[in-house]
Amino acid sequence: MSVETHAHHEHPDVVGSRNRLGVILLLVADIAFALSMVFVYFYLRGQNVNNMWLPAATADHPAIEPLSSKSAWIVTAICAFGVLSHVYGLRGARAGNQTQLKLGSLVAFIASIVAIANQTNTIASAPFTFTDGAYVSCFYMFAFLNMAHLILTVFISLGNWNRARLGLYTENFWHVDIVRIWWIWMAVSSLLGAFCLSFP
Amino acid sequence: MTTLSQEKTVAPGKSIIEKLNVVTALVLGIVSAVVVWRLSLAFLPEDSESAALFTREDKITLLSMCAWFVGFMTGIGALVGPFRWLMGKDLSHDENMFLAGKEMGPKRYFRYTTDHKVVGIQYLFITILIFFLGGGLAMLIRTNLGRAEGGWLHPQAYNDIVGTHGILMIVGTIIMITGPFGNFIMPIMIGARDMAFPRLNALSFWLIVAAAVPLLWGQFLGGISTGWSAYNPLASQAPLGMDGYIMYICIFAVSTMVAGANITTTVVKMRAKGMTWNRTPIFIYGTVASVALALPAFPVFFLSQVLSAFDRALGTSFYNTSLGGSGWLYENLFWLMGHPEVYVILIPSIAALMEMAPVFTRRPLFGFNVAIMGIAGITGLSVLVWAHHMYISGWAPLLNAPFMLTTELISIPTGMLFLVLVGTLWRGRLWMTMPLMSIFALLWNFMIGGVTGIYLSDVPADAFLHGSMYVTAHFHYTLMGAGLTGALASLVYWFPKMTGRMFDKTLSWISFWLVQIGFNVAFVGMFMVGLAGQPRRVGTYAPTFSTANLVTTIGAYTIMIGMLVLLYGVIDSARNGVKAPKNPWQAKTLEWTVDYPIPLENFDELPTVTTDAYGYGKAQS
Repeated sequence: MSVETHAHHEHPDVVGSRNRLGVILLLVADIAFALSMVFVYFYLRGQNVNNMWLPAATADHPAIEPLSSKSAWIVTAICAFGVLSHVYGLRGARAGNQTQLKLGSLVAFIASIVAIANQTNTIASAPFTFTDGAYVSCFYMFAFLNMAHLILTVFISLGNWNRARLGLYTENFWHVDIVRIWWIWMAVSSLLGAFCLSFP
Repeated sequence: MTTLSQEKTVAPGKSIIEKLNVVTALVLGIVSAVVVWRLSLAFLPEDSESAALFTREDKITLLSMCAWFVGFMTGIGALVGPFRWLMGKDLSHDENMFLAGKEMGPKRYFRYTTDHKVVGIQYLFITILIFFLGGGLAMLIRTNLGRAEGGWLHPQAYNDIVGTHGILMIVGTIIMITGPFGNFIMPIMIGARDMAFPRLNALSFWLIVAAAVPLLWGQFLGGISTGWSAYNPLASQAPLGMDGYIMYICIFAVSTMVAGANITTTVVKMRAKGMTWNRTPIFIYGTVASVALALPAFPVFFLSQVLSAFDRALGTSFYNTSLGGSGWLYENLFWLMGHPEVYVILIPSIAALMEMAPVFTRRPLFGFNVAIMGIAGITGLSVLVWAHHMYISGWAPLLNAPFMLTTELISIPTGMLFLVLVGTLWRGRLWMTMPLMSIFALLWNFMIGGVTGIYLSDVPADAFLHGSMYVTAHFHYTLMGAGLTGALASLVYWFPKMTGRMFDKTLSWISFWLVQIGFNVAFVGMFMVGLAGQPRRVGTYAPTFSTANLVTTIGAYTIMIGMLVLLYGVIDSARNGVKAPKNPWQAKTLEWTVDYPIPLENFDELPTVTTDAYGYGKAQS
């Protein structure tokens, strides 16, 4: 190989493009993780080992009834609203409208808080315990996945709103674009859980 | 080591970044673990007498280990960047230079340093440490197996040693190429100033350090009595040491995912101007294939351990058959990662040797495109073979034939890689160095490992061989005979660039022959007893296996002497070795165009590439 020279300078777009790919690759890992959960759910549901997917009533224990997936779909809907809010803010950034960016980011942050409160309530009010069979185990698996994702989302959307508030996105806003990718995955992963829980 | 001025110019008391190092990490990690341990003891309710499983101790252990992890990562400075981003106070240029270890001297090796060369050296050190510990455990195993009645190790201790040796060596072999050389050499080889995400690079290394402590911690809580595969429901009934294994795997999996995203992004986005894919060195392909394969595979392993932790600490029933779980579920999740992981280890090793083959034969790489197809073929097929580990488990017998087919198909792309190496050696002007001899060693060892693997992929033969010492010998021939051989050659080959000194030639030869002879003696003996029916993971055996086991033990001690000679060679050559010229091997890849000491950002001006890296034997080459 020959070594020639050229001037070295990295444009923010170059850095943004690199960060975008990095985040997508990290999401590949997270997607593999979430899809593995889907596999676990349908594997155990299909096997129904010892008829303990949803245990029948015994002398000292009532039958386990599956929880309505409504609460999971509500969390998904809130996440979808968060995506739309964030995209609204991103469009503002693209148009140079900082007020729209701040508003969209703030609403997305609030959506993440509402979603996490809803998810917490779902876990706390579940009418069974960890030892109540395979369906219940899988229910908690998806609930904890969503919780972990939502905690990250709160962190990211808070940072995004704060940075928008401080005017750090006036010249380049590739951070906002990358946060959008996360928000979309947040909604999709929540949807995956809700979809699975719709087939108890 | 790398190369920055030893001057200390950083003023004291500036920001929190400058106060954090491995000592603060250890202190914060230990304090966090102790506090959470005491709080858990005080506030977690006792298990009910009627509970199906007693989980309180597991909860306490796992919570304490999580606290250690969070405390350690906070103490090393991993959270500074994310929280500064959150607050809108991005790191300044000076802070980034501090994080890069500029003008810091040896202290940069004990901090959250972002310079890829520092991270490469840190990886090299931890890989050597892992092999030292794992190798020491191997010697305990072989010493116990020196006599038929075993005797001096308690069976429970023997089981723990086998499991700990296994998981240490698996992790060591996974990081042995992509860690030290993927970090130190790869960015320079592609003409980049650093990795795409320097802070993630530091994160991937320090995660491994954080992961090591729970594994050691677990040794005092009953150890890993399940073997490295930690099958459930056996693992859910194992002592508390199993929680250490679970934490170790979970943290290591995150490290692997982070490193995978970082290395892939670096190669895709930061290659030098003119370095088209046709001009990209084959080592880069091997490294990217390895980490790209790990990226979707390790999350599955991560999940398998998270669910194992849930079963142990919360009493869920993912693997507990009596409550609706399935042991087969664990086996599927484990081997969905477990078999690709073999190629995560092998591909970069073979690619490193393919990188060296043209240098020491003074010929272009034979069949560059064939090599890429071989790597791609192995990568693709490796995710379709996992159930050959489960033929005997009774899971889905109808799928045995398809999995046998996909497993045997892997021989084709593997054969392509053999073809490339043999074609490059053919009629080359051989420069007889230790790295070149390692190519011959790999061809020999991997041929034995591959051919014996065909029998294991065959369902009827596997019914007889499964669970025997034959399996142990087979995977040592692939992972050690092929994988480790490539890593040791890489160490000698890139040693001059990493330390500025040549590796002692005599010591490299002595080590090479001791390790290779010892290895073949040890594992041929193991094949013999395996074929005769000696089971693996058992501390005693029938007297009929005595002679071959003694031969294996003698071979293992020979390997140990060879590895100690190599370790002495590393230390002595780094301190007293002959100073290396810029390009001692007259190689054509970019890392040999930079002087030692290598500048912080590698190149004063970024290079432009105009030819491929293998133009040997041509005019003006």
